Amino acid sequence: MIEQKTLDKILLKVEKPARYIGNEQNIYIKKEEDIETRFAFAFPDIYDVGMSHLGLHILYNLLNNEKGIYCERVFAPWIDMEEQMRKINIPLFSLETKTPLKDFDFIGFTLQYEMSYTNILNMLDLSNIALESSNRDEKDPFIIAGGPCAYNPEPLADIVDFFVIGEAEETILKIMKKYKQMKQKAMTRKEFLESIVNIEGIYVPSFYEVKYKEDNTIEKMIPKKKNYPSKIKKVIQKNLDETYYLDKMIVPFIETVHDRVILEIFRGCTRGCRFCQAGMIYRPVRERSVENLLELAKKLIKSTGHEEISLSSLSTSDYSDLENLVIRLMDEFKEDRIGLSLPSLRLDSFSLDLIEEIQKVRKTGLTFAPEAGSQRLRDVINKGITEEDLINSCKDAFKMGWSTVKLYFMIGLPTETKEDLEGIKNLAYKVREEFFNQPKDSMKGNLKITTSASCFVPKAFTPFQWHPQNSLDEFKEKQEYLKKIIKDKKIKFNTHDAETSFLEAVFARGDRRVSKVLIHAFKNGAKFDGWRDQFKYDEWINAFAETGVAPEFYANRERGYGEVLPWDFIDIGVTKSFLIRENERSKAGEITPNCKVSCSGCGIQKDFKGGLC
Amino acid sequence: MLKLRVKFKKYSLIRYISHLDLMRLFQRAFRRANIPVEYSKGFNPQPKFSFATALALGLTSDGEYMDIELQEEIAPEKFTKDMNDVLPEGVEILEAHYTDDKKSLMSIIKSSSYIIELIPLENSSKKSIYETINNFKRKKEIYITKSKKKKGRTIEREVDIRKNIYELDIILYESDRIILKTLLKTGSTGNLKPELLIKALIKEGLQVDDVDFNIHRLDLFTEDPKWE
Repeated sequence: MIEQKTLDKILLKVEKPARYIGNEQNIYIKKEEDIETRFAFAFPDIYDVGMSHLGLHILYNLLNNEKGIYCERVFAPWIDMEEQMRKINIPLFSLETKTPLKDFDFIGFTLQYEMSYTNILNMLDLSNIALESSNRDEKDPFIIAGGPCAYNPEPLADIVDFFVIGEAEETILKIMKKYKQMKQKAMTRKEFLESIVNIEGIYVPSFYEVKYKEDNTIEKMIPKKKNYPSKIKKVIQKNLDETYYLDKMIVPFIETVHDRVILEIFRGCTRGCRFCQAGMIYRPVRERSVENLLELAKKLIKSTGHEEISLSSLSTSDYSDLENLVIRLMDEFKEDRIGLSLPSLRLDSFSLDLIEEIQKVRKTGLTFAPEAGSQRLRDVINKGITEEDLINSCKDAFKMGWSTVKLYFMIGLPTETKEDLEGIKNLAYKVREEFFNQPKDSMKGNLKITTSASCFVPKAFTPFQWHPQNSLDEFKEKQEYLKKIIKDKKIKFNTHDAETSFLEAVFARGDRRVSKVLIHAFKNGAKFDGWRDQFKYDEWINAFAETGVAPEFYANRERGYGEVLPWDFIDIGVTKSFLIRENERSKAGEITPNCKVSCSGCGIQKDFKGGLC
Repeated sequence: MLKLRVKFKKYSLIRYISHLDLMRLFQRAFRRANIPVEYSKGFNPQPKFSFATALALGLTSDGEYMDIELQEEIAPEKFTKDMNDVLPEGVEILEAHYTDDKKSLMSIIKSSSYIIELIPLENSSKKSIYETINNFKRKKEIYITKSKKKKGRTIEREVDIRKNIYELDIILYESDRIILKTLLKTGSTGNLKPELLIKALIKEGLQVDDVDFNIHRLDLFTEDPKWE
């Protein structure tokens, strides 16, 4: 345990010291003698970001509800704090009891975005834990990882001891149970891994060998023993109303990214956008009932005192009873001035009415995500939104008094042409026109359209997983072109760092050979790569050169359907043949309807019954 | 109008949260404790409560005050108990009573008393420490440089802080720590931060560590005392 006196020496020297003090409302405090297993939930980004993550709150409470298990939290210290810690040799510690991470049984990282991977290494390094699993000894904690990026675990294969694929609620408890047995029998590290390898959803990378072809593609992945599973099947919670649910959340002292109650209304998505990994890996859709949600919301407000509830899901408008849910939540909480926010709405006229109702007077900006500039390209990606939808929504929104609109696009989508890029400009200009077409007296506020174009990153388990990403030069040329043609005072145009997206593409579809690049980049000083002011692209380029790994092989190469992909051994329920079919349909510009309209046979029903898909 | 005047303390780890964060902490505690706080009208309703003065990040205190407007009357003892049940360790309501005072807390506060713990430098002596403090107290004027950001530019000016120091005494001397007690002007008509007093003391030759110190506020006062 690190003495508070020691921390006092540095806390006033850093920005936002409350990031490192713990002690918030609703944390768990357990007696030393009651603790058998210590679990550190590790978020590889700063406190302010990590505390906004729903999964943290779920697993924290789930684990702490178990007798004998103490789950604590740890985040990446910001660079000022890291500097102070290294100066006086303070190892990375948990927030609850200030225990060095090395003293834990498990350190569980959540993988939310690829650009946080170097922070994992930095956190291990700050804990004096070996970066590579092969260098850890019997006394070290197990480094485990889960979350959306774990669906392609291979880039972290050398680092993480084992992965939890899918929704972790059940799996994590099975692991804990096994661990308890292991402690009693005094098993070795290896023996423990052997004992859990057949639990559904667990992947132990060191138990597999990968053979490569001469062209650097994968020949096959071989389990080192016969009893190791050759396919790892994701685990999902089939019925959310019966699943462990969150009725309290830790209340941070400082303002976090999403500083409010998070009410998870359903998991999964039926839209089938072809670029969207979440839409594929989280299938099938599973909803919580309105009654259940209302009860949970009451408990969450009672325990936190938060002033806002945010409905969380992919594509919130698809909740089957949304209007009823919103009205009942509003009725329940209006008196107490508790606001409601629906961050992921499709903005049709129905939604606008709802938002109008929710926001009454205080109006925040509206966000639309057409993703692509032309109808042709929107059909290619199966976005299921027409220009008419968008223009009508904007017209309605302007009529209701909105004047701030955000438009999200991607550049570099498969089959994109110059016309599609021009379409981004045209769409933004049409939205602008719509504002000024209103009668003068109904025009409210000062129009501001923010148009953002991010760089498309092909992801594993999407119909676009075989596509090459645009090269850096192509991205930059497209960004320049858009900057040149979008010239209007009312329209602000933002782009994303192409370099960041390029690295994301390497890790999104990398195999286990990129583990060593990661370690080199970290040793070169890379961390907080997702933070523009910390990103050191040159050090990454050096790391690729030092390890002899060509990033283009992963980011910019077209793959054939016959190629063994690094993540092929994971079974998400959606079949490869469905992804191929969708990719082919996209090339033909054919759209695939929402699963609610008709089933397109993705395969999820075969093994994952229980959803509403 | 129902106005509850509340005294509270801030200690332990809560010293690391800012004034703004403390306000949010209270706002949420009011809701958890079901306190019928009055809300402001308008676009973005806010609970109506205000502090006497902001306590800087890093300081602890035994004497902080706030006024809260209520929609309906509740017993002050109930308020105190219900709040303490939901407040995190480090914030504690000490006392609450209804007041008819029309003036804001901020406008009636005139001074605050502090305990300051300093670490003497290795080559300092008890004699020199006492002498420096005594010399300091005898001065008629003490100028320090205050910097202020205005329109992005930093403006530096010399200010005399002598008139804002009402009391200053060494109440404990040990070879590894010195404890001072001081009474400083506080409020909307003039304000001296204890950190600035430390800065001035060091400038005048007090041999203490300039980064490692602790400041604890004892209480706030409504009188404007004279320097003795």
